Amino acid sequence: MNQAPLPNIRLDFSLTPHDIRRRRVNQIMLRIIQAAAIVSVVPLFTILFVIFSKGLPQLGLSFLLNGPLEQPTGIVNAIQGSLVMTFIAIIAAAPIGIGGGIYLNEYASTRVARIGELFIDIMLGVPSILAGLFAYFALVPILGHSGWTGSIALTVLMVPVVMRTTQEVLRLVPAGLREASLALGVPLWRTTIFVTCRTALSGIMTGVVLAISRGLGETAPLLLTSQTSNDVSINLGQPMNAMTVVIYQNATSSDPQIVATAWTTALVLFVVALILNVSVRFKTVNNRVF
Amino acid sequence: MSEAPSFRRSRLSGELPFRILTLGSVLLAAALLFTLVAVIMEKSLILWPVEAPLTFLTSSGWFGSTAPSGVITAAFGALPMIWGTLVTSLIGIAVAAPIGIFAAIYLVELAPKRLAAPLTFLVEIVAAIPSVVIGLWALGELSPRLRDSIEWWVASTVGQFIPWLSEDPQQPSDTSVFRSGIVLAIMITPMVAAVSREVIRSVPQSLREGLVGMGATKWETIRLVILPTAKVGLLGAVLLAFGRAIGETIAVRLTIGMNISEIPPTLFQPGSSIAAQIAGAFGEASPIEKGALAGLGLSLFILTLTLSLIVRLLMWRSANRMGART
Repeated sequence: MNQAPLPNIRLDFSLTPHDIRRRRVNQIMLRIIQAAAIVSVVPLFTILFVIFSKGLPQLGLSFLLNGPLEQPTGIVNAIQGSLVMTFIAIIAAAPIGIGGGIYLNEYASTRVARIGELFIDIMLGVPSILAGLFAYFALVPILGHSGWTGSIALTVLMVPVVMRTTQEVLRLVPAGLREASLALGVPLWRTTIFVTCRTALSGIMTGVVLAISRGLGETAPLLLTSQTSNDVSINLGQPMNAMTVVIYQNATSSDPQIVATAWTTALVLFVVALILNVSVRFKTVNNRVF
Repeated sequence: MSEAPSFRRSRLSGELPFRILTLGSVLLAAALLFTLVAVIMEKSLILWPVEAPLTFLTSSGWFGSTAPSGVITAAFGALPMIWGTLVTSLIGIAVAAPIGIFAAIYLVELAPKRLAAPLTFLVEIVAAIPSVVIGLWALGELSPRLRDSIEWWVASTVGQFIPWLSEDPQQPSDTSVFRSGIVLAIMITPMVAAVSREVIRSVPQSLREGLVGMGATKWETIRLVILPTAKVGLLGAVLLAFGRAIGETIAVRLTIGMNISEIPPTLFQPGSSIAAQIAGAFGEASPIEKGALAGLGLSLFILTLTLSLIVRLLMWRSANRMGART
């Protein structure tokens, strides 16, 4: 029996210099990647720390419930303004966004849906200052500097957020659900409302909450439209204050007391933004699990 | 769905109104966008007789007044603002792109399961901080520190040889283009990370397994398979964040200063950006200056529009390619 010659296999498993270099490169790069992950969350902790240490001393019930001209000073008018304008804006933006998302995903042909997507992209990309510019030029001559103008500026920014989220969550609804409903003789529009949207409801709500969170955090458009006011009032026909505007205007002051107000307002705003985002987060986590 | 059985007409009769209602929402949103552009365009018309579009985009200087006789003397140049917008955004993206992408790789590929979820959550929280809050922090805390550390160090070493990295030691400024860029980096890093994470997650698992099976190290898998496969999507993430940086108003306004007449000689001097200039100057602007600010707004819109279109094209192309492969 002739034995076939053994193939030339390296049986020596000790590391060659080349392997050692590969290992070292690997370790260095993994460290760098790890460092990048840490670096990306460091600002959060610094900001958190500073906001709390600078904002907490002044925070109290009177800060939340007093007007800016009272003693001790408070930001109740800014809180009201932020909430009222965001509320009006979402009342307008949610139906438009949800309706549009439904049309683009359920009714539109592929081509129309693509054009629609492009439009949402462009709208999402519109810098918020341009929404302010638009509302100023188009509406201040009619409505004046008022809560209404501010709300409409915010609406422009919220609509694409709701529409994009709605469209994306509707896309995730399995076609089988729609087909089952249609096979039972339920018309498409009722299927859409009671089956498709019902299934995607928490996702759609996520979009709405995200839009609210965007509205509460906007400064630039309100600066041009609703401006500021020291009145404690929820009259949308007049200039209105907002938390973001208070922070912006107090930030550059040389009076430490006024800057402290900015920090405390920032703390309030941050906590609100945090609550909104955490609520969204837990909703989506639940969705993914079940 | 006109073929649907028609034995319950009353229920079917809602079909058309519902369709019209939803289509109406789409059209309304589109109309909003068109009016927005049209209104800003229309308001900038007042500027063009005074300042031709091309000179507006390529010159410096910012003043305008209307004499009682109605004669307008004005010279508006957008160049310093366009320069400031692009340079701050480029600094921001140069810092944010590697950090954001690496952070995303860490979250998807390396992080232990217990760590991945909370870290992702933290990154999302950073993205949710309102920009004015970051601006306040940057103005009061970050900016002075950057000036006394990195800026001072760069200016006193490299700055000796490169003029645009030097600083006048006699008068270090409170605000600078560089600092705005860093603030932007902090704001857009979570955005880069979040989008990149989705992109990297969509890289098929079998590709990773193939390379690991051939004895590749983790980094080699990342470099040879994950990054090349995710290339287009990652570019999209970076461009998206770039667009966000270009439009950022308040945080830049608080940290960049209001130098509107010229391009600053060094990165460590105050400058201005388009969005910051609109927000800062609008309050006291004369009608002709408002026209000029509308002109600025228009150029900002064109910038972000171009970016949105590029990103969308990239996404479609990569979607097509993925579809062809599988």
